[in-house]
Amino acid sequence: MHRDYGPKGVKFFFIYKTLAHPELAGNYVQPFTLAERLAHARQADKQLGATIPWVVDAMDNRLKHALGDRPNSEFLVNPDGIIVRKRAWSHPDQVRKDLEELVGPVEQITREEDVHLKLELPIKAPAARGVVPRISRPQMQPIVMEPHIEPKGLPFFAKLRAEADADLIRNGAGRLYFGFHLDPFHNGHWNNLTKPLSFKLEICEGVKVDKLTDVAPKVEAVSDTDPREFLLNVEAWPDGEPLRLIVTYSACVGEESCHTVKQEYVLHRKRDNDGGGARGEGAGYWDPKEFTRQMLSGDKDGDGKLSKSEARGLILPQFDSLDIDKDGLLDRKELNAISDWLNHHHQPGSAPANSKKRQ
Amino acid sequence: MRFASLLVLVMAFVAWPADIQAQRMQEREEEFLKSKPLVDDPLPDVTVYSSDGMAFKTADLRGHYTVLTFGCLT
Repeated sequence: MHRDYGPKGVKFFFIYKTLAHPELAGNYVQPFTLAERLAHARQADKQLGATIPWVVDAMDNRLKHALGDRPNSEFLVNPDGIIVRKRAWSHPDQVRKDLEELVGPVEQITREEDVHLKLELPIKAPAARGVVPRISRPQMQPIVMEPHIEPKGLPFFAKLRAEADADLIRNGAGRLYFGFHLDPFHNGHWNNLTKPLSFKLEICEGVKVDKLTDVAPKVEAVSDTDPREFLLNVEAWPDGEPLRLIVTYSACVGEESCHTVKQEYVLHRKRDNDGGGARGEGAGYWDPKEFTRQMLSGDKDGDGKLSKSEARGLILPQFDSLDIDKDGLLDRKELNAISDWLNHHHQPGSAPANSKKRQ
Repeated sequence: MRFASLLVLVMAFVAWPADIQAQRMQEREEEFLKSKPLVDDPLPDVTVYSSDGMAFKTADLRGHYTVLTFGCLT
C-alpha cells in the first residue's frame, strides 16, 4: 500500500510504543531510556524489512495515551490534521478501501510477493538459554517501577520486570514477582564465575515481606542469558508507599568486558498499564506444531505444503535455503526444522511442557 | 431429523467460541470508536521522535493524508 499510495502523496508511519508482549520472540524487554527505545525501532525496521518509517513515542507514552491506548490501532489523518478514520486494530485491506475512497484508486495494486521484503531475525542471544528453569507466575500484572538511571552510569544490562497479583495491587497483600532479564540490545550474558545476582528490598514501616534479600541460584554453566526470577509474599503494603529495590549482579559483554553493577528501582503498588503482557515461562519458545500450523494457514491449494507463492513473513526471503530437498515446497518436516532452528539458535526459551518448575 | 438436530447442536458448540471472539472484537472496535479522540477531531499534538532521535511535533505531519499504525517489536 505504501508503494501504491506513496507516489500519490500519502504518508505512512509506524508508531513505536511500549512493548505489548515483552519476552516474546527475541526475549526483548521494555526499554528504560529513549536511546534504547530508538534502538528498538531501528531493530523493528530490520526485522520487518519495511520501508515505512517509524515514529517513536516518548518514554511517557504520551501519543499512545492520547490516541486511546491500544497496541495495534490505526488512524488515517487528512491534510488538515483531522482524524478521518480510526480502528482499534490495524486492518490493511480496510485502509486500502479508505484510500481508494479518499485519494482514488491505483492502476495496479502491489501484491505482498511483489515487494520482496528483506526480513531479519531477532537479535541472537550471546549465550545459552534454557539453562535456568523458569518460575511459574500465573495471573500477575506488571506494576509501576522506576529505575534510577544515572546519566553517565553503566546501562541496565539486566532489566527488572516487576509484577504483582490482583490481591497485592488491590489490598496490599499478595505475591510479588521480580524477573531480571538481560536486555538483548546490550548483548550481555551473566557472569556465573562470580557471585550470583542478589537483591535487597527496603520497605516502609509496617510492610511485611518474606524475603527482604535473596540470591539467585548458583549456575554451573560459565554463562547464560536466562532471567533471574524471584517470587515474594508481601503483606500490609500501604497504597502510595513505594518500596526501594537494590540489585547487584555481574554481566559480561563479549569475553573480556565484565561489569559488576548495583542498580536501584522504586516500586509502586499500582498496575502499569504500559507494561504489556509477558508470557513468562516458555516465552520466546516456538511451539513446532503451532508454528507449522500457522505457516500452513497460507496453504491455499490444500496440499499440506507451502509453495513459494504461499509462503509469508520471515520464511519467504529464506525459502530456497529452507527447502532442504529442493522440491520447491516446504513440507511439515521442513517447517518443524525451522521452529527447532529458531528455538535452539535464536530465541529459545524453555519448552513449557518440559521445563522444571521452581516455586 | 434427530441427526440434523445433533449436527446443529455440535455446530453451535464448534462455532460458539469464534462467534464470541468476533463479537468481543466488534464490541472493542465500537468502544474504541466512541473514545476520544473521535473521528473528525484533530490529531493530538505531541512531541515524538524519528528513529534517529530527531524530535518533532505530530502537527508537523499536516499537509498530506497520513496513515499511522501503532506497533512494536513484540
